[in-house]
Amino acid sequence: MLTLSGVDSFYGRSHILHDLSLQADTGKILAVLGRNGVGKTTLLKTIMGLTDRARGLLTLDGRDISGALTYERARAGIGYVPQGRQIIPDFSVRENILMGGFAANGSGRRIPEIVPELFPYLTDNLERPGGLLSGGQQQQLAIARALAAQPKILLMDEPTEGIQPNIVKQIEESIVRLNQDLGLTIVVVEQNVSFARVASHSFAMMENGRCVAAGPIDALSDEVVAEYMTI
Amino acid sequence: MADVIFIGLSLSSILLLIALGLTITYGAMGVINMAHGELVMIGAYTAVMSGIYLGANLFVALPLAFIVAAGLGLLIERLVIRHLYGRILDTLLATWGIAILLQQAIRLEFGLTFFDINIEGLGPGLQNVAIPSFLNQPWMIGDFTVQPYRSFIILLTLALTAVTWFLLYRTSLGVQVRAIMRNPDMAAACGIDVKRVSAYTFAYGSGLAGVAGVMLAGFKTVSPDMGSSLVVEGFLVVVVGGVGSLLGTVASAGLLGQVNGLFATWTNDILASAVVFGLVILIIMWRPQGLFSFKGR
Repeated sequence: MLTLSGVDSFYGRSHILHDLSLQADTGKILAVLGRNGVGKTTLLKTIMGLTDRARGLLTLDGRDISGALTYERARAGIGYVPQGRQIIPDFSVRENILMGGFAANGSGRRIPEIVPELFPYLTDNLERPGGLLSGGQQQQLAIARALAAQPKILLMDEPTEGIQPNIVKQIEESIVRLNQDLGLTIVVVEQNVSFARVASHSFAMMENGRCVAAGPIDALSDEVVAEYMTI
Repeated sequence: MADVIFIGLSLSSILLLIALGLTITYGAMGVINMAHGELVMIGAYTAVMSGIYLGANLFVALPLAFIVAAGLGLLIERLVIRHLYGRILDTLLATWGIAILLQQAIRLEFGLTFFDINIEGLGPGLQNVAIPSFLNQPWMIGDFTVQPYRSFIILLTLALTAVTWFLLYRTSLGVQVRAIMRNPDMAAACGIDVKRVSAYTFAYGSGLAGVAGVMLAGFKTVSPDMGSSLVVEGFLVVVVGGVGSLLGTVASAGLLGQVNGLFATWTNDILASAVVFGLVILIIMWRPQGLFSFKGR
């Protein structure tokens, strides 16, 4: 279980997250919702320790990781699929996936068994430079890379943003499978309310760097969506 | 003509060794190390000192200089650079300060001159390092005179470039260094200890500078300020080749060294430098990212 209590986060002098508290239950999917620019990406970066400064309490399975460095958080079991995918264009597909393995405990760096099942395209093109892949394939690659870290919890930042519809479906299915088959805890930042309603167990709605509503996904009423997500 | 190209090659080799260290530290850490030339100087003094105190020749000095310069590099990283990550202008100034500090430390024999204690080999004077005699006998292949010392420099540089390539592209540490060069945040999020790997990278680059210093000591007089112009030449190579690109650095060192060698033979050293600078300006105007570059920092 990942919990944040009273977390503030900063970029330089800009105060982005204000007194934010939420929790992601083990083995469940938490959907983080909200309009653009409300701090959803910053929330994930804060969990990863990638903002300039943060305060408040952050725990993973009861262990305080508030002061941990980014690589220590990765090794503690937090996998990160960032916005814009951020794969390395001149690394091959294989190198990109194995890069995640530096956070894996023991057993060395290898391609996780579930990758060929979920994303056969990747295992068929291991020597291709990552930069030559389409957006959707790069997204799959970013997920595979995060899986190579053998994480307990996966942070995904708008995994279906700007991706062709047929791959969107594939990625959404893979998110559900990772949760159901591998029991992975997933925190997913989403704009797509209908997917969040189908797939996730709970939600957190954000506005101006604060968490304004949270609870089981059934509690996500149309009024809440209308108030905080329609433009 | 073959002689001229040969001289150009040996110039390129020294340039390459200096630039290799710079390009990996700048690429991986975004640190412009103004003290890099002084690490070359320290390498050269290691050769001088090991000659005087250990009676060792150039070959023994090579690994020694690598260790001394790498250790000093590690110290500089720990004490100064680590606290200034992401502040490029501050590191520029701080490392420039370190450069001056190192120069003066050698010149003043760590301040001992004030107490009338002298360490032989240090001080403001010029020092020479003897080349082992078998590297001093030129031999002929047809009309072509082979300068053994210059050949030795070229071969050693080739070997060290190959080692660097192997480390970067065939080892786990190398993957981490390249990942950090491309995307330090993502590297950290993948579990790479960016600070530790950067420190090793910096030490390795410094070690290469030390080796370059030993080789330079073989055909130049050693003095406390011998390194200050080298960092500029090294950076010209890095900028022309493309930051963080091994292939680019090799190609650009080859190009600039040859141009320098050719024009120095036809005209004189000063005009040769001017031509090199002019060429660098033209290349940068044509390709601001350098000859070979990936999309990175």
